[in-house]
Parts: sequence; structure tokens; C-alpha cells
Amino acid sequence: MIKPINYFIGHLQSEIRLNEQLIIKKQNRYFLLNEKLKSLVLKDFFYAGIYIGKVKNEKFFPSFNLLSMIARGKANKVVVDDKTEWLFICGRDVFRQGIEKTMGSKSKGDNTLILNRHGECLGFGRITRNLDEDGAVIENVSDIGDFLRREPLKAK
Amino acid sequence: MSGKQFFIDRYAKLGWKYEEVKLKRAIRTNSINNHGTSITKRLLHRGVQLTKIPFLNNGYWICKSKFSVGATSEYLSGLYSIQEAAAQIPATLFTNLEDKLLLDACAAPGGKTVQLADLMHNTGAIIALDVDKQRLTALSNQLERCHVKNTIVYRTDAREVSRLKIKFDRILLDVPCSGNFATDKEWFNRRTLEDVKKNATLQREMLSEANRVLKDDGEIVYSTCSLEPEEDELNIDWAIKKLELQVEEIDCYGEKASVNIFGKRLDSSIEKCKRIWPGQTQGFFVCKLKKKVSA
Repeated sequence: MIKPINYFIGHLQSEIRLNEQLIIKKQNRYFLLNEKLKSLVLKDFFYAGIYIGKVKNEKFFPSFNLLSMIARGKANKVVVDDKTEWLFICGRDVFRQGIEKTMGSKSKGDNTLILNRHGECLGFGRITRNLDEDGAVIENVSDIGDFLRREPLKAK
Repeated sequence: MSGKQFFIDRYAKLGWKYEEVKLKRAIRTNSINNHGTSITKRLLHRGVQLTKIPFLNNGYWICKSKFSVGATSEYLSGLYSIQEAAAQIPATLFTNLEDKLLLDACAAPGGKTVQLADLMHNTGAIIALDVDKQRLTALSNQLERCHVKNTIVYRTDAREVSRLKIKFDRILLDVPCSGNFATDKEWFNRRTLEDVKKNATLQREMLSEANRVLKDDGEIVYSTCSLEPEEDELNIDWAIKKLELQVEEIDCYGEKASVNIFGKRLDSSIEKCKRIWPGQTQGFFVCKLKKKVSA
């Protein structure tokens, strides 16, 4: 059931492994539970535990929770400066000049997590050019600005 | 029975003189997501000036900001939530939340659910309910943004919780209510006493169901953002008499609730409830209830 999730995690060169026994699926969305929640959850739940992501047309779209979990360990990741952080969460690609630190792959075609100076995961992108080259080097695939692009929230 | 003067006269009878209120925007920091540099320093660096809300542990008023505090990477990373000051009070009234099984009966859009998960340090479990699918999506987005891990959400009416076959240690009953003029400029034109009474009936049904699914030593926190006593003191008086619940002491911002409502004498323990008139915050009513212990 979690093959597409593991494939995505592996593609980021992360070593985290999710316990399949604790993953439940609702339509095309996956959730990671703990033992307590597993003992309580009923089939008709709307959301449960940690949202992991969804599969659409056989492609996995990770949640920001999963990306943050991966970012805590070994994985492809870059740390960006404040200006690039803002541009990235506005949906823009990452330029080499905005990258302060690189961990893991620098190779074209690989995925990499984007972190700010505080180590918070802002999303992920696809390396489109060698990270040592000038210009746009990481294509934005998904960023936390997505929370703003979803339906408007109103604080109660 | 409606109109601005009608309601203002009622407030005067309850001992409060009506005044215009300009509501201050507030945030609440999520302690489980804050490590390293303090969030107040980070926001100050961005030009957001905050003042600590004296009666809340994690609440801050926004004094000055050149941009929306709902569009920073700190907000999007779940380091804080935008939550009005009085709305931050109910979740803080429970005792000993860690590892508890908690029901958030009217949870969407999720500000208080996230706060509860924070106070529980993501331990135990929260069962969060609401009926509207769009509001449930907003709730789910909040849970994801704030890295909440201990919550199960159902599309279920708070009056039908029994179907889950769970007994709860703690229940937050932040019931749907008539609201108040501080958060809605058109409130006086929109609301009638009939609306208020209709809401009060719904709230009583929710109180009854909460009582059914509460463990014997459990706690209910009941709150509304309504200033109308039918939804506040009168409902609690009814719960004391019909559901055999008792009111517990709470220590929070607000005035003692009134035990004399429009000439009707209520149970004396009602004064342990807190009524918050609009001013520093919006209007609110909060109280904590437990099952009566038989002698």
C-alpha cells in the first residue's frame, strides 16, 4: 500500500521508514497513526493522525508533515537565505545565489527539500541544473505557501 | 424583539453599559513547534510588534504590522496561530490534559483544536467533530499546518457523539452561538431574540449529549461568544438542574457571571462561570462543568 510513499522518500535519499501497520488510507489520502489513534479510529474518519500525502494518477503528492519528518534526518536538502525563502513560498524557483548550504545530491533530476535558516522545511523542488551553476537551479514543486492558496481560513 | 436598542437595554439590565469596541488582533504561539529563536524575536525582525496578553500564557496582541501575519513563513510553518484573545481562554481551563481522551465537539475551523493539541503536547487523543465539509477541510489544513499528530476528525453532529462509543476525559463544547457585535458590525441588524432562543435549544441538546459521553470524573468546558444569557447563564442553570452537572471554579480573565438574570434567580454556583464583556477582547462566556458527585 505504501510503495509510492517509500519511492518518494527514497528519491530524496532519506532513510526514514514508515510503519505500514500504522498507515491508513482514506480514498486517495494516507495518514500515519500511533497505537492510541489506531485503537480509536473508525472507518468514516475525515482526517487522522499525521497526514502523509495523496496519490493522484499513480503519482504521490507528499504532505508538508511528511516533508518535515524527512527533513529531520539525512536527505537531499538545501538551506536558503531569507529572500529566497520568501520567493520560494510564493511559488518561485530557487536560484543558486540564494542557496547557503547543500546536503545530499546536487545532481540534475533529483528531488531536494528546501529549508530556511531555522531548519524549517518550506517544501521541495526538482534540481534542474547542477547546483554549482548560475541561474534557477531548483524548480519549485511544492511549498508551504500552498496553505494560503487553499480555501480561505478564518480563525475562530 | 430585535434591534440595537433592544439588546443594549438587555446588557444594561445585566450591569454593562454598551460601548463601541475596536477589536485587537491577536496570535497564539504553538509551543510544540517553537524551538530555537523565539517567535516574538523572529516576528519583530520582520517588523511585527507584539504585546504579551497579560492573562494568557501564549497570547500576544499585534500592535503594529506592515503586512498580514497570516502570510509569514513562521505562520505557514505552524509556529503560531491567529486567534482572538478571548477565544484562547476555553482550552486553558481544563486540568491535566496530557494523555487524556478529549472531545472537541464543534471543532472547525480548528483554532482551539490546535491549541488543545499544543497543551496536550500531542499526547493522548482528540476527537474533533463538525458537520460542514468545507469547515472540516479548513480544520484539516490547520492540523497539517501546525503539525498536530493526535487528532481524529469526523463529520459528525455534536448531538450524535454516542455513535462513536467512546467515553471522554475532557470535552470542549465551544458551541455554535449567536456571536456578538464586537466581531460582526451588522450583528444588531442581523440578530433577533428568536435566533438566540433557537441557538440556546441547540446548545442544550449538545450539552445533554456531552453529558452522556463524559466519564464520571471528566470535565466539560462550555463556551460561547454570545452575550445573551439564554445561551450562557440560563443554559448552565438548566444543565445544573436537568443534567445534574456542577460548576467548577475557574481562574481566568472575565467577570463573575450573574445569578440574577432579568429578575430570575439562578443557582448560586453560576457565579463561578465567567462572562467577558467586549473591550480588551470580544464578548465571551466560559465555564467548567463536572458530573455531580453523589454523597
